[in-house]
Amino acid sequence: MISKKMTTLEQQDLFTLANYDASLGERTGYSNYSYWSSTVRVFLKNWAAVACLVILTILLVFTFVQPYLPAQRDPNEINISPETSRQLRNVPPGQEFWFGTNSIGQDLWARIWTGTRTSLGIGIAVATWNITIGIIVGAIWGYVRRLDRLITEIYNVLDNIPTTIVMTLMAYMLRPSISTLVIAMGVTGWVPVARFIRTQVVIIRDREYNLASRCLGTPASRIITRNLLPYLVSVIMLRFALAIPGAIGAEVFLTYIGLGLPLNIPSLGNLINEGRQLMMIPTMRYQLIFPSIVLSLITISFYVMGNAFSDAADPRNHV
Amino acid sequence: MVQPILAAKDVTIKFSLRGRILTAIRGASLNLYAGQTLAIVGESGSGKSVFTKSFVGMLDSNGWVESGEIMFEGQDLAKFKHDKEWAAIRGCKIAMVFQDPMTALNPLRTIGLQIQEAVELHSDARGSVAKARTLELLRDVGIDDALHRYHQFPHEFSGGMRQRVVIAIAMACSPRILICDEPTTALDVTIQAQILGLIRTLQERYNLTVIYITHDLGVVANVATAVAVMYAGDIIEYGTSSEIFYNAQHPYTWALLSSLPQLGIKGQPLYSIKGTPPNLFAEIVGDAFAPRNPLALKIDFVERPPYFQVSPTHYARTWLLDPRAPKIDPPATIKHLREKFVGVRA
Amino acid sequence: MNKMREVLLDVRNLRVEFKGKSREPFVAVNDVSFQIYRGETFGLVGESGSGKTTIGRAIVRINETAGGEIYFKGRQINGRIPKELDYEITQKIQMIFQDPMASLNERAKVDYIVSEGLYNTKAYKDESERKAKVEAALLAVGLLPEFASRFPHEFSGGQRQRIGVARAFVMQPEFIIADEPISSLDVSIRAQVLNLLADLQRLHGLTYMFIAHDLSVVRFITDRVAVINKGQIVELAETEELFANPLHPYTRSLLSAVPVPDPIEEKKKQVIAYDPSQHNYTVQKPLWTEVTPGHFVLGNADEVAEYSISRA
Repeated sequence: MISKKMTTLEQQDLFTLANYDASLGERTGYSNYSYWSSTVRVFLKNWAAVACLVILTILLVFTFVQPYLPAQRDPNEINISPETSRQLRNVPPGQEFWFGTNSIGQDLWARIWTGTRTSLGIGIAVATWNITIGIIVGAIWGYVRRLDRLITEIYNVLDNIPTTIVMTLMAYMLRPSISTLVIAMGVTGWVPVARFIRTQVVIIRDREYNLASRCLGTPASRIITRNLLPYLVSVIMLRFALAIPGAIGAEVFLTYIGLGLPLNIPSLGNLINEGRQLMMIPTMRYQLIFPSIVLSLITISFYVMGNAFSDAADPRNHV
Repeated sequence: MVQPILAAKDVTIKFSLRGRILTAIRGASLNLYAGQTLAIVGESGSGKSVFTKSFVGMLDSNGWVESGEIMFEGQDLAKFKHDKEWAAIRGCKIAMVFQDPMTALNPLRTIGLQIQEAVELHSDARGSVAKARTLELLRDVGIDDALHRYHQFPHEFSGGMRQRVVIAIAMACSPRILICDEPTTALDVTIQAQILGLIRTLQERYNLTVIYITHDLGVVANVATAVAVMYAGDIIEYGTSSEIFYNAQHPYTWALLSSLPQLGIKGQPLYSIKGTPPNLFAEIVGDAFAPRNPLALKIDFVERPPYFQVSPTHYARTWLLDPRAPKIDPPATIKHLREKFVGVRA
Repeated sequence: MNKMREVLLDVRNLRVEFKGKSREPFVAVNDVSFQIYRGETFGLVGESGSGKTTIGRAIVRINETAGGEIYFKGRQINGRIPKELDYEITQKIQMIFQDPMASLNERAKVDYIVSEGLYNTKAYKDESERKAKVEAALLAVGLLPEFASRFPHEFSGGQRQRIGVARAFVMQPEFIIADEPISSLDVSIRAQVLNLLADLQRLHGLTYMFIAHDLSVVRFITDRVAVINKGQIVELAETEELFANPLHPYTRSLLSAVPVPDPIEEKKKQVIAYDPSQHNYTVQKPLWTEVTPGHFVLGNADEVAEYSISRA
């Protein structure tokens, strides 16, 4: 600051030319905006999503930890009362059995956690399969113009086959098991994903940076993996997050129509189905309520988190 | 002393961006006089759009006017907090025309209805009276087949015609000030000339005061009577059009004029300003242009220069005008332009 | 005297069509012919929709041609070509794009962006050579080598455009098509990029095709200019000749409308409007005629006669 206290000599010195350093000006333009840290920051601002993340994490951890906790029962073991030597059927939740027992005396607590593990496993496997195949087909469909007509025709045929019928047929033909269900849901589940990815790819395929890559001779496969897909990460994550509860819901549906897993492999589908049959008896509603709560928590959590992450990953929200 | 119709004094505008504070406008002052055509020139990030948006209360939701005053018709616009307060000013006394006519119009409604909506919003006219006024506005902006065009949708118009419609909407309420934010950047050169001519005609007919925001010095030379040069959120020089072009004083204005290809000599490298504009998140000490200025004095890094008067209408914020500063030779292009100035003044 | 120089690019009767919704395809480029000599800067000027960008993209094989030929150093490069020729063109002809905000891959580091062409043509022996090339390219455009590990969004528009130039330049091309390289840049940054392009040309013997819509900018950097309107080239001449003696009415109209950053000149200016219907091509078809050596104009016999008189 110029002050009266400065000598005239000092003042005069201030009015001489400064040494000019060109690189000073070059560095000032740097902004340290980081895409992923901004995404995380925006995501964390959404308290509902954070709460769901916490709930889901606890749920997940618990399903895997539960068998190793002390005093856990086998989910398929039919519990016999030591006094009466009869099956402990339909015992309401209490000290002995925290979630009660079902109609043949199996411990519902163990069944629910085992069932959640199974259903989550199926859900994630199906979702992963659908998304992966959907991305591969959708990206090629959207980007390679020569194949556009062909794949569109195939899609039109596939899309018009009711997926319910395909799933039902497959589940009916093959023996009921986890892999059957996964195959049945995977045969048609990728089709809407492919369609969605194709639309997104068509929107961005002619942007200048992709033209530049073509001009530089980049092959289509690398343009898809390095130029297009990274740009679509946020929408892909959203579809993935929604696909998991979708698959679990499909499993519940298949069980409902009798094509689900056998009873010795507990899943949320069987549990809800069993519980549904006893719904009208007030004292036994717990058999429906507990698995339903778990299913709802999973579905809502994935839904909220998926949407929150997708919004956070959109650079326009990084303000 | 003629009073300015809009007087902005020491305006500071800040934005909250990604958790940090960005100072977009750092104590800028500006006087706008009736009947002027003022051009605000600056590169992107200089704050020219933000500054004028504060005149109509259209700052983004994460921005606010931190200090300073903007006096218009006896009211301080900087103190407005609610949209209601802006209702009488925005669109009505101060209207704005934006850059891209494609996105400024609603594609799902006829342009006639869009103009009429503006008319009805700012006056008591309704129904057939409003429609008559709409047709009058369409003819005013040079759309001849007004009755037929009234029922057409934006996609049936070309870029230049759409911009005319946008201008018609802005004129619906006979504003006193028209702010045009890069109105011709998205248009071809021949259409650009037409639109600039249209705005000039309207200005003469309705005694408008116009502010142009642009980075195109050719447009400035065509339309402006007064020019304000902005850099890094501050107005570093302003004066009449002749004074700025032919007698510029701030090194940034020199650099700007010298770097124009239109004024360059073939075969010789253009004078180019090295580096990039400063980061507005950080506190800026001294003159913001100093790091990029080969003619910077040591004091430019220490203390911010005040406005020095060059003439009653010409001010510049540079220490070079201080009596204690050494006499610096401006670049060749500027010397060449100064010769013209002598001719103009004479 | 021009005929003694080597013809690098020879475009003959080029026609490019786009399939639209209607049955008739939209003709973007209609019977365009011109030559570009080695070492020169050839300007192609037109308004939006005139087809200038389409021509540039047809040369680098982004757009398909519907008719005519494009020859590069004597070999035809449009249509189906053998793979080696494709590789060769990728290396020898490169493009700089208009919008620095859209022409870089936001999710890739500058290192990958600049090396992309090198990866494709395997133009390096090992990793260290590739890195050296990237560094050299960044330095050549006035950027610091440390920028290679950053992402595009960390840079300003001018710096991003320079990354785009580095990307084209690292391939060591002979011919660069610059598609409106400064239109999206701030006025104060344009000079940087123009100087850079001029320096690279001088140091490495590059040939440029400079596509622009601003005639006044083109005057500064080009040796010859072609003016294009609605898919057809209407006039072609050496730059100073075009500005001194514009013959075609469209060229005259374009020249009169260009804003000049000089208030005195601007006030004196009169804008001439161009009316396409002023040409009567029903009887005499327009031909591409050489009025004076090197100065070509599109017009029918009557018009050419008129132009010659006005020129003389």
